[in-house]
Amino acid sequence: MKDNPIFRNDMILKIEDLSISFGGIKAVDAVSFEVNEKEIYGLIGPNGAGKTTIFNIITQFYKPDNGKVYFKDKDLKWKNLIDYKTHDVVKTGLIRTFQNLELIQDLSLLDNLLVGSHTFYKSTALEQALRMPRAVKEERKFRNKAMEIMKLLNISDKAYELVYGQPYGILKKVELGRTLMSEPRMIILDEPAAGLNERETAELADILKHIRTDYDTTIFLVEHDMGLVMDICDRICAISFGEKLAEGTPAEIQNNSFVQEAYLGSEEGELAE
Amino acid sequence: MEKKLKSRFNLLENVYINYILIGILFLIAIPLNQAGIIGGSVLITLGSVILYSVVGIGMNILLGYAGLITLGGAGFMGLAAYLSAYFTRDLNMPFLFSLIFSVGIPIIIGIGIGLISLRLGGYYLAIATLGIGEVLKQVFIEYDVFTGGFSGKSAGYINLFGLQFDRIGTYALYAVILIFALIIGHNIVNSATGRAFMTMRSSEAAAQAMGIRMLKYKVLAFVIATIYSTIGGIMYMHLIKFSFPTTWGLGMSLNFLSIVVIGGMKAIAGPVVGALFVIAFPDLVLKNIPIIGTSPGVAYIFNGVLIVVVLLFYNRGLIKIFTDAKVLIKKLIGGK
Repeated sequence: MKDNPIFRNDMILKIEDLSISFGGIKAVDAVSFEVNEKEIYGLIGPNGAGKTTIFNIITQFYKPDNGKVYFKDKDLKWKNLIDYKTHDVVKTGLIRTFQNLELIQDLSLLDNLLVGSHTFYKSTALEQALRMPRAVKEERKFRNKAMEIMKLLNISDKAYELVYGQPYGILKKVELGRTLMSEPRMIILDEPAAGLNERETAELADILKHIRTDYDTTIFLVEHDMGLVMDICDRICAISFGEKLAEGTPAEIQNNSFVQEAYLGSEEGELAE
Repeated sequence: MEKKLKSRFNLLENVYINYILIGILFLIAIPLNQAGIIGGSVLITLGSVILYSVVGIGMNILLGYAGLITLGGAGFMGLAAYLSAYFTRDLNMPFLFSLIFSVGIPIIIGIGIGLISLRLGGYYLAIATLGIGEVLKQVFIEYDVFTGGFSGKSAGYINLFGLQFDRIGTYALYAVILIFALIIGHNIVNSATGRAFMTMRSSEAAAQAMGIRMLKYKVLAFVIATIYSTIGGIMYMHLIKFSFPTTWGLGMSLNFLSIVVIGGMKAIAGPVVGALFVIAFPDLVLKNIPIIGTSPGVAYIFNGVLIVVVLLFYNRGLIKIFTDAKVLIKKLIGGK
């Protein structure tokens, strides 16, 4: 199969015909969509629709049964991520957050952010153990960068505090900050507003818009908070039971009869999950 | 904020001073010994505490920070001890050359074993490393040309650049080695490598998403622990000056687990406190208690009880007593 996919210049991610099943149940069924550069793109759907599964396939935590995941990497070359190992995906400029925060509880906020720049460290473990000049210089550089990001996220006053015991809103920001440390071309956010109150959600919307312009990134998010999705997304893709229902601007999605139907039946969807 | 950032990351951090102080505290035993207040055997016991601490620091990086377990640590320690005895005594090699080989050979074996066994995790890894430790012990018994078998192998005090160390000199050297072991351990844990270890332990998913190669860092943690073990083994050989194959069994490996757990996981100086309790306390205190002290196995019972007590009531390890005491004193003095 050597069919050449068509890449438009303004695209950054092209998902083609993605399918995966778990024990006979089709979790994702022939889903295709494209995300454009500098876009805030939303993926919505009732519970159990397969949103997080799609994220896991894109970031190579799952390998799909069928389909392609094309991503325009840091050198602006198109790569099929399916060929990548999970830990190599971040080097292409694609990074994710997790639905259930995956932070290191017994490290400070600052250290948690520094984990995000892991792949940029050039000094060896020996140089770090002996604090040789290159290791010290490198560490200082990334610390300054982390402090800058924490300033943007309004958490720099807590830089040296442990993650353990911090309120949820702060933890969400730390995870977001950690993604920024990897100099991403695209950030995949798995329910960034879950667990946040109204004020925090509004702040998040602001921060995400800032990130897009200040850090030149594309943002791709799964979210249940329709207010946030409709407010910040340029385009939205709606899925249900692993199949794509519709794609379009927030207004188009809101008026789409298929989407309305899927959401009215969402109670059953929840039970099925 | 800028100033705070700098003070947090100086070449000579404040914590370094703490580590140097620990070394100096051990050195105080020398004048005490010369004044006749403590005997030579106490010096040997404290020397053992130092070398067990060194191995414990490595185990702590492996267990506390990287979240990996090994029950074969004593095997690698013994291997280095025998190699060092063989090179310095049988081959008359200068100590520095012997050191390179005695550390290098176990590392190469360790990398090989690590690449295979570290694909396992949790209990399976514990069983696999237990097997490796027992295999090494059996090798020590069987290869008697090299190890002296059950009759044991002897070595002398260290001779460095023609300088012959005696008991006190060796002890002083070990205290200095401990300082470096602590500082290097601290540096590792507070570097990108250390953060990778901790990420790997607390969230495999996050580690992979951030580009941390799991196997590479598992093997690296294993190698670091092996280096510390080998240095501890060499220190053992040239302090105790005698080694039996049975010394390097499961009991010794478990001792290191107790040292790390009792002293405090995730605290670099924790194993020093742990070693004081596990090694020095039974020898220097328990033995002198009438009736109880002379009963067999009392040290093991003490260790067991201590582990249970620490895990139940002080699971951050006894090293945290110092930080807690500091806070308490500040509260008492500051009034709030």
